[in-house]
Amino acid sequence: MKTIAYCDPFVPAEWIAAHEMRPSRIMPSTAPASGAVIGMCPYARSFVSEIASRDDVDAVVLATTCDQMRRASETLAKSSGVEVFLLNVPATWQTTTAYRIYGDELRRLGRLLVRLGGTAPSLDDLARTMAEHEAARSTILAAQGRLSARQFSQALADFQYGDKVDLDSFEPCARPRGVPVALVGGPLLRSHFALFDWIECAGGHVALNATTSGERTLPALFDRRELGDDPFATLVNAYFGSIPDIFRRPNSELYRWLKQKIVERDIRGVIFRYYTWCDLWHAEAPRLKEWLGLPLLVLVAGDEEGLDRRDASRIQSFLEMLK
Amino acid sequence: MICAGIDAGSRAIKIVLMNAKTHEVLASGHTDQGVTQAALAQRLLEQLLEQVGRRRDQVARIVATGYGRNLLDFADTTITEITCHARGVRHLVPEAMTIVEIGGQDSKLIRLNPQGAVRDFAMNDRCAAGTGRFLEVVADRLSVELGALGELARRSQSPAVISSMCVVFAETEIVGLLASGTAPEDIVAGVQKAIAARVAVMAGRSLDPPILFTGGVALIPGMVEALQSALGHPVAVAPQPLMTGALGAALLACRREGAARTH
Amino acid sequence: MTEPPRQITLDEWDARHEALRAGGLQEPFYGGPLRRHVADGDFRLLRLRFDDSAAALRLWNFLLTEEDRLHAARAAGKKIVGAMKDLGTVPVMAYSLPNLVAFYPDGAWWIPCVMELSAPVFRAADSLGVDESFCPVRAMLGAFVTGGHFPFPDLLTCSVGATCDDFSAVAQRLNGLGYPILWWEIPARRRPDADEDAIELPGGFRAPAAQVAYVKAELERVRESLDTLAGERLDETALAAGIRTANCVRRLLAELRSLVFTAALCPLPALEMLIAEMLAIHFCSDREETIAVLRDLLHEVKGRIERGQGVLNGDAVRVFWVNPVADLRAMNLLEECGGRIGGTDYLFCHALDEIPENLPPMEALARTALADPMVGPASDRAGRICREIRRFGAEALVVSRIPGASHCATEGDVIREMAQSQTEIPTVEIEVPPVCDSLQATLRTRLEALIETARERRNR
Repeated sequence: MKTIAYCDPFVPAEWIAAHEMRPSRIMPSTAPASGAVIGMCPYARSFVSEIASRDDVDAVVLATTCDQMRRASETLAKSSGVEVFLLNVPATWQTTTAYRIYGDELRRLGRLLVRLGGTAPSLDDLARTMAEHEAARSTILAAQGRLSARQFSQALADFQYGDKVDLDSFEPCARPRGVPVALVGGPLLRSHFALFDWIECAGGHVALNATTSGERTLPALFDRRELGDDPFATLVNAYFGSIPDIFRRPNSELYRWLKQKIVERDIRGVIFRYYTWCDLWHAEAPRLKEWLGLPLLVLVAGDEEGLDRRDASRIQSFLEMLK
Repeated sequence: MICAGIDAGSRAIKIVLMNAKTHEVLASGHTDQGVTQAALAQRLLEQLLEQVGRRRDQVARIVATGYGRNLLDFADTTITEITCHARGVRHLVPEAMTIVEIGGQDSKLIRLNPQGAVRDFAMNDRCAAGTGRFLEVVADRLSVELGALGELARRSQSPAVISSMCVVFAETEIVGLLASGTAPEDIVAGVQKAIAARVAVMAGRSLDPPILFTGGVALIPGMVEALQSALGHPVAVAPQPLMTGALGAALLACRREGAARTH
Repeated sequence: MTEPPRQITLDEWDARHEALRAGGLQEPFYGGPLRRHVADGDFRLLRLRFDDSAAALRLWNFLLTEEDRLHAARAAGKKIVGAMKDLGTVPVMAYSLPNLVAFYPDGAWWIPCVMELSAPVFRAADSLGVDESFCPVRAMLGAFVTGGHFPFPDLLTCSVGATCDDFSAVAQRLNGLGYPILWWEIPARRRPDADEDAIELPGGFRAPAAQVAYVKAELERVRESLDTLAGERLDETALAAGIRTANCVRRLLAELRSLVFTAALCPLPALEMLIAEMLAIHFCSDREETIAVLRDLLHEVKGRIERGQGVLNGDAVRVFWVNPVADLRAMNLLEECGGRIGGTDYLFCHALDEIPENLPPMEALARTALADPMVGPASDRAGRICREIRRFGAEALVVSRIPGASHCATEGDVIREMAQSQTEIPTVEIEVPPVCDSLQATLRTRLEALIETARERRNR
């Protein structure tokens, strides 16, 4: 079975799986040691480097959710031998044209998958695949309460990567006792999971992972009534119609979602993390701070491998302040 | 009973010895930073203790702060410099509400609540162009002492524009400006303006006065004026700006020691 | 005998203006000595060198009085449309309605340069956290916040989707401050798949018919808002007429570019050519006057070519310039280093191509909007640049990075690599901040090295 790699949450794994391909949401391990480019987002660079170094990927899907990744698709097409598909995800979301574009793009992706040897699914096949994925996703979500924030994030990443996740293999963890904080921002690299440990060591715990790699970008639950009648529309609504993100214009839904979750989870502070050269997240930091009315710590991830040790100090200061 | 606060900064190690009950500063001092931070700090601590006729075993608690704090394994606790500077400045200026600290390697903006606790903070430690390092670079290029920069900047009629975000590239700009005949005073004024502008970005849209300026860069003449202009508010230099971190650490050591004894 | 043209300073313009007036120069209502703009804060003029023609004087006065025109339009009861990002499409629609005026607030990115950072627009942007790591278009945010420049538009539109992140981020911050924006989607243009209906776009690109349909639907939404603002319907007849007038501007510019880039002696300097091209995107808030200004320039250029006159040395190297410069001074610098402008891509080539007049107007506009080189792959843009390099006979290429602009990180390499492999001309990448005085030495070295290399090629 061919492997279709992707990283963007707006690429539905169910759609790929229904075409009898293996969806694999790649979370790059770490930033490449060399080759930093002024103006190029370290995450985009990491993803390109990761894909270019692999020989187990048959095609990769990037999305237009940021200009950095849109342009990275060209870089990737040149530097790797894999088929590169750029999924046009509209920034606008309140119009029928936007939904039409997204739906048409999924169909276009489907045609590529068929050309690569996949099979166009029947409506029943699609519905069944969607139900199976949702069930598996729900199992992971249900375990959130008994896993640590790091464990949960890893479980989610492994699940989205396509690995079988044995939830019972995780060490049981005590009920979190630290100050509840939210981690907000763009995608994480695997080497960034240590952030969760640093936050716990400093006396906090991540009660809300609102990064692009966290629960924020999970699709909404499928409308079961609609699923039987029109699984494709259900898929579009669950992804395009519900995932709150920074690139949307306007990005009001992100703020609405954050506010709701912050109240629900009794969040006392926000750790806001963006990559250098990521204008979309960077520009929103002060607005988010004013709007939320909560202490907000800004961490900037650069081209370093792993985490910047100076961030441990900042996190410590932040938690000192919150405590 | 004595407590000690040690600020292991990027340029210097500062220590304050304090009477744990009265919070009277018994002695304070600083020494240049080096590779063997722990040894340097220990030596300074011993010197200060000797000055006041005390022994090491009479120090009840030591709090270390600053970038090098985790290397001082003889300290009882480490607390970040955000919290320590806030504590130290507020002790000296009880009405302070905002603190700007610019050191050799970073700059910080700390907002306090009415009770003096840290309410919010922002840091720049990725961009050397917003720190004292930038002033060191320009002083070196112009072959003047750091302390003379302020006097030079005061003579500026038209501060130069420094475009680069990176101090390495900014140094190239300084060379270019000199080559094109730009007056040194305009270059210095431009650099001070650039540093202050980066603090203003951290400040955002609103600030609560009084604003206190601390850290080594606060001692460089001209920087207060540059900050005031960038922030649009009066700025006062904190008393003993080099020592506020260590002072805050000492105060926190006293508090923790007091709490431990109560329990 | 007509005196040879030359570039002069602002000081020299004082005397030149007197001489022209004494010789009977009739100026439009916005005319006058250039120096008066310095009193308004346009200090950069003191450091620029200008073409000495009456046509250039008219061009500069036209540019530097745009804010006055916008305020006058507001006072006269016209509605003002602030079109953002699309650079050339929405104004064509807006100007087709009699009581609308449109401009690009994006143009505020030149305020820091022209006013030599004296306007607090960057400081205002800084206070909102939009610092120097962003593109200088952050000045637009500052301009809205300080309110000291253009009148607040009655309607703000902004294209998003396949647009640069920094502009999108700045526009979203503006929206977040309470400014309502009509967002419209421009999809990432791609080459048609084998099983898709394909459409030829102006400028030579091809796109799937479905993408043109998306853009058309979005422009219909924009049209509805313009209708509501104007209080009347923008019908096909009016839009077709608007397109014809826009094409008049585009044809004038096409002729001007072709003449200037290919003449044996350079008849018009790079700086005036940059300003002239900018008139294409929103007519500097006066469509009819734009046509008059461009006709004047064209007349001047033709006259100089006929007389065998130029403003630069005959051996100036023709340089193709990619991306607009945040500091206008950089255009003078090119010439001081021995270059002349020999082709351009200032991010809005689609605003220079004629809008098809043999198609239904909205279809034509949609195709033109989708032909924006910036909404497609960088290789498309590079391909177009290479075609123009060959067309105009450019001998060297400059890719001018815009500090903080998200597209500049990788696209420069794509463009340069393709230019080197397809045309073999020497290339260089530079970065021009809003005030580049401190970088003159660095920029000069790069440009001079490029010119030397190009000259060396001539001798081979």
